[in-house]
Amino acid sequence: MARHRFLVDGVEHVVTVDGLDGGFAVRIGDAEPIEVQPTVHEIPGVVSYFEDGRPTRAFVARPAQGFNVTVNGRRFELRPPSTSKRGRGTVGGQTDPLGKVSAPLAGVVVAIHVAVGEHVEEGAVLCVVEAMKMQNEVHAPHAGTITALHVEAGARCERGDILVEYDPDEVPEA
Amino acid sequence: MSFKRVLLANRGEIALRVQRACRELGIETVAVYSDADRDALHVRNADIAVHIGPGPALESYLVIDKILEAARATGADAIHPGYGFLSENPRFVDAIEAAGITFIGPPASAMRALGDKVSARKLMQEAGVPVVPGANDIDANDIATATAEAQRVGFPLLVKAAAGGGGRGIRRVDRLEDLEAAMRASGAEAASSFGDATIFLERYVSPARHIEVQVMADAHGNVRAYGERECSVQRRNQKLLEEAPSVAVTPELRRRLCAAAVAAAKSCGYRNAGTVEFLLDRNGEFYFLEVNARLQVEHPITELVYGVDLVVQQLMVAAGERIPDFDEEGPLTPRGWAMEARINGEDPYRDFFPSLGYVEHFEAPLGPGVRFDSMLFEGLDVPIYYDSMLGKLIVWGADRPEAMRRMRRALRDLVIAGPTTNVPFHLALLDNPDFIAGDVHTGWLESSFTMPALPDPDPRLQQALVAAALAAELGRGPASSAPASVGSSNGNAWARAAQRQALDGRTRATGARGWQGTAS
Repeated sequence: MARHRFLVDGVEHVVTVDGLDGGFAVRIGDAEPIEVQPTVHEIPGVVSYFEDGRPTRAFVARPAQGFNVTVNGRRFELRPPSTSKRGRGTVGGQTDPLGKVSAPLAGVVVAIHVAVGEHVEEGAVLCVVEAMKMQNEVHAPHAGTITALHVEAGARCERGDILVEYDPDEVPEA
Repeated sequence: MSFKRVLLANRGEIALRVQRACRELGIETVAVYSDADRDALHVRNADIAVHIGPGPALESYLVIDKILEAARATGADAIHPGYGFLSENPRFVDAIEAAGITFIGPPASAMRALGDKVSARKLMQEAGVPVVPGANDIDANDIATATAEAQRVGFPLLVKAAAGGGGRGIRRVDRLEDLEAAMRASGAEAASSFGDATIFLERYVSPARHIEVQVMADAHGNVRAYGERECSVQRRNQKLLEEAPSVAVTPELRRRLCAAAVAAAKSCGYRNAGTVEFLLDRNGEFYFLEVNARLQVEHPITELVYGVDLVVQQLMVAAGERIPDFDEEGPLTPRGWAMEARINGEDPYRDFFPSLGYVEHFEAPLGPGVRFDSMLFEGLDVPIYYDSMLGKLIVWGADRPEAMRRMRRALRDLVIAGPTTNVPFHLALLDNPDFIAGDVHTGWLESSFTMPALPDPDPRLQQALVAAALAAELGRGPASSAPASVGSSNGNAWARAAQRQALDGRTRATGARGWQGTAS
């Protein structure tokens, strides 16, 4: 038996898998086990299976940690629980470490609205990242004082690059 | 066909579209590409490919000299501009023609005549094309004249700077009392931005549909109008779903629209493919808006209902041939119904926040009446420098209900794993009662449409968890064997894929991080 723990949008899910003859019994949390028979799996990315005889398919990518799974047009990001820390005011399970703000997407930093030493309120616009002709404002997650800027206007950034560091006014509750 | 080698001064799906037409005609193709497009499909699909610079379009696809140099170096005898980039730049046309190369598009003189709002308006008035009621050439300080003209035009109206552009210097005035202030503001803005305080007044036509007519003109004085396209479903002036024909256009109205479009094209000596855009109000009155002097994104829906290949016609007309089967007797009758959904890398659940990145999996929809024009392939890392359109899903049906059923089916068959797409938006749109009734106008989407909420809990989450657990099991080795370490040399295809992705070092973590997106 194998036990998998996945964090999806901040909620942990435990999935246990038991090998059966020609398939698996998969159990999510305390729910009744589902009997599945994989069909296509030699093609990387495609996972097809019969669930109680009903064909189902999903597309699974393996980033550095966890899985990105696309099912019927919706994409889920499944991460190992240990690597993700939740922060105050965040929606998903993924968040920047306290005191850092990363690029929401790859693009070009077209404007920086703050300077080191400046105090900002929560939600203040820190900088603007342009991608695909769209200007995306990067906002302060907490009130605090800017301690470092890691980009300059005109510079290219990758998704996840730390753009700004700050000293939060108060340490949010865990 | 007199062309032997055509250079495509563009990228993405439109470069592929033109390459396909060239190939069918036995013409060789030359692609140009930036650093960001080195792996792109339009490069691999070309006979010859020329590198023209770094990713930003200002340093590559928009540099006239680099495109011309590529054409000279490869001996191209014609250049197709696609849409966007340099396609409506008359200086590009001048430079191409000076180099003895044929531009596959309208003459520079027509572009110039149509590019200026006031001159285009006058041109159309002289040609008998209905323009939005208004008054031209008013001095921003001449309140007396403006007052008299405004009362003739009617309220609400727009005050526009004659030399303006990009929405600058435009003010809406609902009452006569507000006219003077709006004129001073527009005039001042126009004087400081454009050095010209001349304004004009235009009735504010709202609600209105965006109806456009495809035209094709040859060098022998023939102009063909290929009916209308309905493009009223827009968000921030970006069209999202287009259809042909329009539910609002009767055969009689179509005849008048086509006649106006032909007159518009003839008024400026137009040649090649173009689109004449109109506003259509609730009373069935239509007004000239502008001419798009190029092939448009949504051209395929016209191709499907009129049974033509507009790119092939562009190539023929540019080579001096006549429009095929030209018949001056009125507009052609559309056959069936076509729709195009623009598939963009945007998240409709997060205010259309752009989403791009690595395409993990891709399956194009197939089957009767379905066409997908796209540059996608598995492994493509969608570049950040260009627009967010990943493809155009185009369907044809015998009537509008069949086209809608096909579109729903094809949207569900389309699989793009990686970037988040606006497919859920299109599915919601196709279920919207106003859209089903065809009761839309250009402001409808932003004023009346809301995305239905995601189901909570979403049954797809269970499937995702099962699939991930299975992938984890299967990735260790044969399904029945004891777990082996991931990445072991005797691993299966899954393990090798995992290894490759790990080596790649790609991390694709996303999610809210305390920032919000605002698209502008």
